[in-house]
Amino acid sequence: MAPLLEVRNLKTYFYTQDGVVKAVDGVSYDVNRGETIALVGESGCGKTVSALSILRLVAEPAGKIISGEMLFDGIDLLKLSKDDMRKMRGAKISIIFQEPLTSLNPVLTIGRQISEGLEFHKNMSIQEGMEEATRLLKMVGIPHPERRVYDFPHQFSGGMRQRAMIAIAIACQPQLIIADEPTTVVDVTIQVQLLELIRNITKELNTSLILITHNLGIVARYALRVFVMYAGNIVEHGKALDVYHSPCHPYTAGLLGSVPRLDEPRKARLQPIEGQPPDLISLPAGCSFQARCAYSVPQCLREKPVLTEIEPNHYAACWVSQKGLREWQKQ
Amino acid sequence: MAEAIIEVNNLAKYFPVTRGLFHQKKIADVKAVDGVSFAIHKGETLGLVGESGCGKTTLGKCILQLIRPTSGEVIFEGRDLCELSDKELVPVRAKLQMIFQDPYDSLDPRFTATDIIGEPLRIHKISRGKEYNDRVAELLELVGLAPYMGERYPHEFSGGQRQRLGIARALALQPQFIMCDEPISALDVSIQAQIINLLDDLQQKFGVSYLFISHDLSVVRHLSDRVVVMYLGKVMEISNRDELYKNPLHPYTQALLSAVPIPDPAVEMKRQVIVLQGEVPSPMNPPSGCVFHPRCYRAFADCPKTIPILADAGGGHQVACLLYETSRP
Repeated sequence: MAPLLEVRNLKTYFYTQDGVVKAVDGVSYDVNRGETIALVGESGCGKTVSALSILRLVAEPAGKIISGEMLFDGIDLLKLSKDDMRKMRGAKISIIFQEPLTSLNPVLTIGRQISEGLEFHKNMSIQEGMEEATRLLKMVGIPHPERRVYDFPHQFSGGMRQRAMIAIAIACQPQLIIADEPTTVVDVTIQVQLLELIRNITKELNTSLILITHNLGIVARYALRVFVMYAGNIVEHGKALDVYHSPCHPYTAGLLGSVPRLDEPRKARLQPIEGQPPDLISLPAGCSFQARCAYSVPQCLREKPVLTEIEPNHYAACWVSQKGLREWQKQ
Repeated sequence: MAEAIIEVNNLAKYFPVTRGLFHQKKIADVKAVDGVSFAIHKGETLGLVGESGCGKTTLGKCILQLIRPTSGEVIFEGRDLCELSDKELVPVRAKLQMIFQDPYDSLDPRFTATDIIGEPLRIHKISRGKEYNDRVAELLELVGLAPYMGERYPHEFSGGQRQRLGIARALALQPQFIMCDEPISALDVSIQAQIINLLDDLQQKFGVSYLFISHDLSVVRHLSDRVVVMYLGKVMEISNRDELYKNPLHPYTQALLSAVPIPDPAVEMKRQVIVLQGEVPSPMNPPSGCVFHPRCYRAFADCPKTIPILADAGGGHQVACLLYETSRP
């Protein structure tokens, strides 16, 4: 069966006074029905922009989707009119934002914000919408939903706001949910609650999920396949097990080496990735990771590596890896 | 055991909650820190973990007297810091420094890097002229920055470099103790490791003690010699690192540890996660008995009635939980 979403060669640029920021520079990925994938990378690597592009929510005029194809259920989202795109958002594809306090409307009740989508997409009356909102709040584990549905966002705690965001996202039973760092602002014990909730709901509704995060542990716990992004490109992707156990890109290996793990004996020293991520306005000609890479060869300076299948269903964009030299795996 | 550099005895900080604009009437207290005792030993790193709002930062600031505690003692060099006047505290502050959480908010944007790092030297009149410039250059190099960067302003540095400036500033007076308040939580993963290693190196070089406040249990394990677990202003468990991570006694510590995802899909598949119900209650109106009991998965009939005492469970491993209390003195 064809994947639910196929993103091909997506390029989203931002035009600023200082120059063109190539936030997403030729990214391709796909999501199957009912599957959870993860986009992982550090801030500024383009993971959020590549997801916002799917919903065509990139702030214009500064930001622009330059080229690419985004086939959702066979329809190219980039070719839809603005009206048709509105009918997709919330109904077929929805998003859980990182910061619930800034993404919820402070002057509308929680119930109204959940029912908005239902009224627009499902032609419900306000009353029907509020009833459905109550049911949804109960489903995401808000106590006393019949009362809480009339509360405003400031009356909710951080974790509850994010639960309300989840209720909004699932209200119209979309086929795809994008969760953009859904738990970065909450505490670990709440993080577990929310992620387990998202996992159970997507399983129950057979929804596909794109999980955007910088936390390698969360990826390992929840995603089947993982796409590692660096400086606007996907540098490695494959099954989570393969990527974690035999990383084919030195950046992935570096990320894994730089976090302490609770289940392993304590290391005397962490191995950080030296240096800084590159400036997205003036990217180097070759591999954008070259300057921080301990394994680079002269080719890395000249030519930009392309994603190639290094192991079965395990792709990486790295010249060194293509030559079969993967010394970082020995550590 | 190494000698204690700072001793905290029964420290408490209550913030009054008032109502009314002109005739402010006190209606309640937020018990941010409520009867906390522990010691920080010479040259060690004491990790302090807990969720937001549990009082970690308030506790740290009370130790440095940046917030004056409501009651309790902070003993440093034989004196109770809580008893000292602000003026008497000035020379003490040279020995106790702090690294802040947010490298964007904690550096004055109108100061150059040299001004920032040198400010403690100027305030305490340690050095001037060439000596001053040399010392600042030395500090910059110590934290991995080039001396020529001293002319730059904070906005010209990246997040990781700014945190290095914050560290250099804290080191300027060669303190004996540095309180690190979530120093890496605002940084990217690949940069975090750089800062962690830097803190580690500096400790080995200067023998400085750290109080390392963090909500990241994996990082705390990496850096700390001993760990304090806090919940709602109270200490739940104190132990040395290996013992705490291998054999967590308090149900809260157990839940915290199981909540941390491990970056390995094969391990995660087999792991059983303890999902705590509910959220952290308001410190204005904490639960009766053990403050953790409404969320505890091992709570029993006594927990809402009796306040557990932090007691030794063997080998310096202290825990405040009725499950481990056999008899009351």
